[in-house]
Amino acid sequence: METAFAELPLALFTTLAPIGANAFIVLFIAAFAGKLNEDQLKKLDKFSAVPAVVVLVGFIASIFHMANPAGAIGVLSHIGTSPLSNEICAGIVFVIAMAVYVIMALAGKLGEGARKGLLAAVSVLAIVFTIFCGMAYMMATIISWNTPFTIIQVLGFGLVGGSALGSLTLALAGVLEDALKAARIAVIAVAVIGAVLAACGLIGMIVTVGGMTNGTTTGAALTSGVTMYAACSVICVLASAIVVALQKGTAALPAIATVLAVIGVFVGRLVFYALQMSVGISMM
Amino acid sequence: MAKYAFYFDGTRCTGCKTCEMACKDFKDLSVDAAYRKVYETAFGATTRDSDGCIVNSCVSYTISMSCNHCDDPACTKACPTGAMHKDEETGLVSVDSSRCVGCGYCHMACPYNAPKIDRSKGHSVKCDGCADRVAAGEKPVCVESCPARALDFGTIEDMAAMGQRANIAPLPEPTHTNPNLYIKASSDAIPSGSVDAQVVNPLEVM
Repeated sequence: METAFAELPLALFTTLAPIGANAFIVLFIAAFAGKLNEDQLKKLDKFSAVPAVVVLVGFIASIFHMANPAGAIGVLSHIGTSPLSNEICAGIVFVIAMAVYVIMALAGKLGEGARKGLLAAVSVLAIVFTIFCGMAYMMATIISWNTPFTIIQVLGFGLVGGSALGSLTLALAGVLEDALKAARIAVIAVAVIGAVLAACGLIGMIVTVGGMTNGTTTGAALTSGVTMYAACSVICVLASAIVVALQKGTAALPAIATVLAVIGVFVGRLVFYALQMSVGISMM
Repeated sequence: MAKYAFYFDGTRCTGCKTCEMACKDFKDLSVDAAYRKVYETAFGATTRDSDGCIVNSCVSYTISMSCNHCDDPACTKACPTGAMHKDEETGLVSVDSSRCVGCGYCHMACPYNAPKIDRSKGHSVKCDGCADRVAAGEKPVCVESCPARALDFGTIEDMAAMGQRANIAPLPEPTHTNPNLYIKASSDAIPSGSVDAQVVNPLEVM
């Protein structure tokens, strides 16, 4: 497991950026549910920076992964062929859409139609970006990562964490209680779907890797070192989804759900990096 | 211009690691870096049979390997900047340090443990096939240094005439990246994909 800490910046990036991005889905649900009046929506606009800051902290963390961040703009030169280029491209498109929404929201320039349209676009792009975060690790020569479980768990982590952070954003804006009157089922659905995907993705990966072998290690050796951490991750994301389902109008429960989600996702990401197994003889 | 390949004769290699040291010296590498490595591979068991006799099936053999300058390199596919590139004329794969951001994807993707990230240099580092020596009509320094003449370097056609394409354990099936490494296997070597064979000197080569 200690080798996974070599990928700490990436673990932070793939924890925070998808959680922040998918939080906008909850804002989208709240805006579309129709129970918030214009004043409440304006209040929500003022707090749209909360998930945006989480996304940006994630991106800043990713910079520390590179040995030479000065050339970072060059990572866009192989879009279509390099999975990392594709991920960063999807991330930049999402961040641009998010920035347009947040800047207009903070400036108080959003009408009802523009708000709904931008939130819909940001939500769709958040899911696309999250999927590309998972696809970035789909390399044919890394047999432990090159399975659908990789995408499933990243998307699940993003959704469950996003549902918690999005709820916290609504609570901080003082509109959670009214938003939940019409949107409780939808928010719970996002959290539950996310938690189930995350748990299935992580457990499925561990079961699959357990049967693998290469010239330097065995999957059983890798998985035996991460089992407790994986259990911690799954328990935290499931608990987060339950807390989201139980939340009412205050910020206490969404805050707890967010903390649980961040811990669960971060530990889950470390488990993922610890389970890197090449088809050949490379090791982390 | 010809495209190049390495050749490794497993019936000659003694595992002396002169190739590895010659490369480190020529490339002025630090103590913890090596572009060519000698992988010690072992498998088998020592057991007691029904008559009480000790039976030993343990074998060990070495593979000297650097970058295999694959025809279908996983590192260049994964590289987001194009810094890791394959020379169209020689087929040698090398790093353009001015474009590399040191993201490590080449290291992750390569199944032959070739590229590494040197954070002090700020970019990926690996064997370049001694491209300058090759351009001057010489062979890579590892090849020239081998006291047992277990290594060779030349055109793909010439190297392929002497051995099989990197098809012994613990190397992966060559179909993944089509490596330009041709091997004459020792009698103990077993085919790629055999799960029994393990690298037994990981601290030295990883």
